[in-house]
Amino acid sequence: MFTNLVFIILFMIGFYALVMKTNLIKNVIGLNLMEAAVFFWVISFSDIGGEVAIHKMGEEMTKFNDPVPQALTLTGIVIGASTAALLLTLIIELNKFSGTIDREKIEGLND
Amino acid sequence: MEIPTETQPEVESLNKLMKKTLISVVLAGVAFALYQNFSLMPGYEGLNVGLSNYIIESGLKDTGSLNLITAVLYDYRAFDSLGESTVIFGAVSGIVLILSRKMLPVSSKGLSFIVKRTLGIMTPFIALFGLYVITHGHLTPGGGFQGGVILAAISIIFSIVYGSAFDYRRYSPQTKTALETGGALTFLGLGLAGIFMEGAFLHNLGFLTAETGTLISAGSIPYINIGVGFKVGAGLAIIFYSMIQKTFEEDF
Amino acid sequence: MAVLEIILVVFLVFSALMAVRFDEELISIIFLSIFSLILTALYLLHKAADVALAEAVIGAGLNTAIFMSAISQIRHGDSD
Repeated sequence: MFTNLVFIILFMIGFYALVMKTNLIKNVIGLNLMEAAVFFWVISFSDIGGEVAIHKMGEEMTKFNDPVPQALTLTGIVIGASTAALLLTLIIELNKFSGTIDREKIEGLND
Repeated sequence: MEIPTETQPEVESLNKLMKKTLISVVLAGVAFALYQNFSLMPGYEGLNVGLSNYIIESGLKDTGSLNLITAVLYDYRAFDSLGESTVIFGAVSGIVLILSRKMLPVSSKGLSFIVKRTLGIMTPFIALFGLYVITHGHLTPGGGFQGGVILAAISIIFSIVYGSAFDYRRYSPQTKTALETGGALTFLGLGLAGIFMEGAFLHNLGFLTAETGTLISAGSIPYINIGVGFKVGAGLAIIFYSMIQKTFEEDF
Repeated sequence: MAVLEIILVVFLVFSALMAVRFDEELISIIFLSIFSLILTALYLLHKAADVALAEAVIGAGLNTAIFMSAISQIRHGDSD
């Protein structure tokens, strides 16, 4: 319940930044926040009170947290960084031509 | 909509207010829908987690890797990691294509003497830690992706602290490209070796298995880790290098 | 677990709000870095060590450098 509430708050903060802010860099920050909210939710949801999913030498197997959502989250974090870099590159190129990063002032995009 | 904004400023402000109200309604609706969605969801114990139970129970026996997350990433779902490497390769290609500039070093003077000396002492230890994280991916937390990003941080430190010309001299873009290609080819080569020796793409190579818990164990997982580490590190270093080049042109 | 997690989550939401609130991009990026650091502590609290390492390295380290290098070459208000 607590996890779901935190997820909704973080996701809505990111969504607000994506929709309401006109600064393009703020939009990328909002996307990052939404990503982080989803990752936090996945990790926190799959926490069943076990140990880190790593065997210890010479000890019997204990109760582990689920390794599959953690592996998927790891994949997502790395991809998120590269997509953020690509988006920022596009913003730099856009800024070179239009001289602004305010999406309402870019000519040709809004009527 | 043709609204002459100069003559009717109050209409424009009303328009903006209406837009804000509409967006607020949309935000509230999305939040409510998310809340309702979660109220329908079962807890984690209610889900069908047969696959996870299988991996937890027999992951060590199947792969020989103590770290089960590494076992999932580089053995059970190694194909996903290959796709992820492809995504990084696509991002690197796109960034280099968009920001295609001259490959000449455009240098800044870097930071002060104190910072240079301090980072000069610290950088070998950062490199050692990165290599440790890469090579011990199947024994301790870590793996190719994390260690690769730590190695990319060295290139970032060189660019910021010593100036990008130093980074160009030490690790030129050609070297980085060769490292990235080499890492990707290592990954693919181990996958193809899986076809010829074990019968499936990216299957764990059985003849490389040694005693569990030693450094060279867990079949082909350490080698895939090394390949992915160099690929990710070199790719992210290329991203940062191509994004920074124009920055210091004024200081030149 | 409960008290520490609640404190960390409060700081997490606060830093996310601050990252969105300010108009200056530099402050937003610094708060995004702080957000990633607190998220690292939360991942560690939930016993996900690999994810915590990745978030610390990528979220707090690499993302900050990439954002900084992006905003350092953006020129404001040339053609307004």
